[in-house]
Amino acid sequence: MDLETAKERAGPREFSPADDLPEEYRKAATRMIEFHANSEIMGAYLERPFIRQAPSIDRKLAFSAKVQDEIGHGQLLYRAAESLGVKTREEMLDDLANGDGKFLNCFHYPMESWVETPMIAFFVDGAAMRRQATLRRTSWEPYAHAMDKVCFEEGFHVKHGEDILAELMSGSKKEQQLTQEAFEEWWPRIIQFFGPTDDKSTHHDFAASVGLKQQSNDQLRNAFLDQYIPKARKYGLEIPDEPRIRERDDGTYEVEEDDLDWDEFFTIAKNDYEPGLDQINGRKAAQEAVQWVRDTIEGDASAAGGHAPQAAD
Amino acid sequence: MIWEVFRQEKTGQYHTHCGNVHASDREMAKQFAAIQHGRRKPTNSLWVVPREEIGEIDSEDVAFGGTTDKSYRWATAYNTTGRDASEVVESEDEQATAERQRGDD
Ligand SMILES: [Fe+2]
Ligand SMILES: [Fe+2]
Repeated sequence: MDLETAKERAGPREFSPADDLPEEYRKAATRMIEFHANSEIMGAYLERPFIRQAPSIDRKLAFSAKVQDEIGHGQLLYRAAESLGVKTREEMLDDLANGDGKFLNCFHYPMESWVETPMIAFFVDGAAMRRQATLRRTSWEPYAHAMDKVCFEEGFHVKHGEDILAELMSGSKKEQQLTQEAFEEWWPRIIQFFGPTDDKSTHHDFAASVGLKQQSNDQLRNAFLDQYIPKARKYGLEIPDEPRIRERDDGTYEVEEDDLDWDEFFTIAKNDYEPGLDQINGRKAAQEAVQWVRDTIEGDASAAGGHAPQAAD
Repeated sequence: MIWEVFRQEKTGQYHTHCGNVHASDREMAKQFAAIQHGRRKPTNSLWVVPREEIGEIDSEDVAFGGTTDKSYRWATAYNTTGRDASEVVESEDEQATAERQRGDD
């Protein structure tokens, strides 16, 4: 199939591994799905320490279930990416370990305290879910099928994250204050989750023209703000003064893009952001620590024989 | 030789199991599947798989999920306030349906 035909045919779940697709399509789809898969994995690693730090048994159970889900999402997505025939899962995982694999801006920032958890589990999962819901209509069928299962599970993540936020914001004055501070720190990053404005986005036009992407960065960001600003306010969070957000006459919102730190964003996008390197190297160390498990499963027992078994953490 | 047949009704949907056919090889299996399973019901694509290539594990071999209380895993377990995003509502509905179906047996 040539590119023109692919563009003409492009529709929800239109293309499957049975189709002979142009290289441009397969490469763009691989880049997009690999980024998504990497983000699931890096998000899981960011949240994993909070299984131990959870303040109650209920939170611990829910957090470990959520982290398990995210690793599963990564696995589903590597399969969907691999089925394009451009890159193998091993190559993608190795790229992620050696710092070449790209992933979401939010997962490059260290997360230290429990009050930060709803920033990821409510707001970032909420933002991700908004985007993922639209991707159930992407043109690469294996990707759309992965989104069916991911969206089924994500509702729990968002509601659980919201429940933590509600608990913190009805706790002591101190808790409320710390949560507000965490919110102020994370808010600009959360808004940047959706990437640069449409006119600065390099990959959007092509991905949209072949049906891979269903909505533009701006559409997604605005839909997110419409839903989540009222939620944040409801729990007593104050929206920071910057970035400036204008409320339009019809009740929707618009962000002053120049108030956001795009230098930092693009440094992160290149995996050059210093504080984020710990995230990348931490996962690399975990991957290496359990190499003996993979060797054993693959039947190369001699390779594992020389090492004392280690755990990933 | 027995071949299991999976039918997809429309582009983008899942291939679901719909029966099986006798055939001596893959080509014949595809022909028979098309005749037996692709004629009455709307069909976009069929898969044929040799039965002996299918691995099975059932509820006698292993306890599948859903037998212990893991309510913390369900969106429905969390009572939050305010209107939820439509995709969150949709996920919660799908989960509630799955939960009801588990309760049926
Ligand atoms: Fe996920
Ligand atoms: Fe999630």
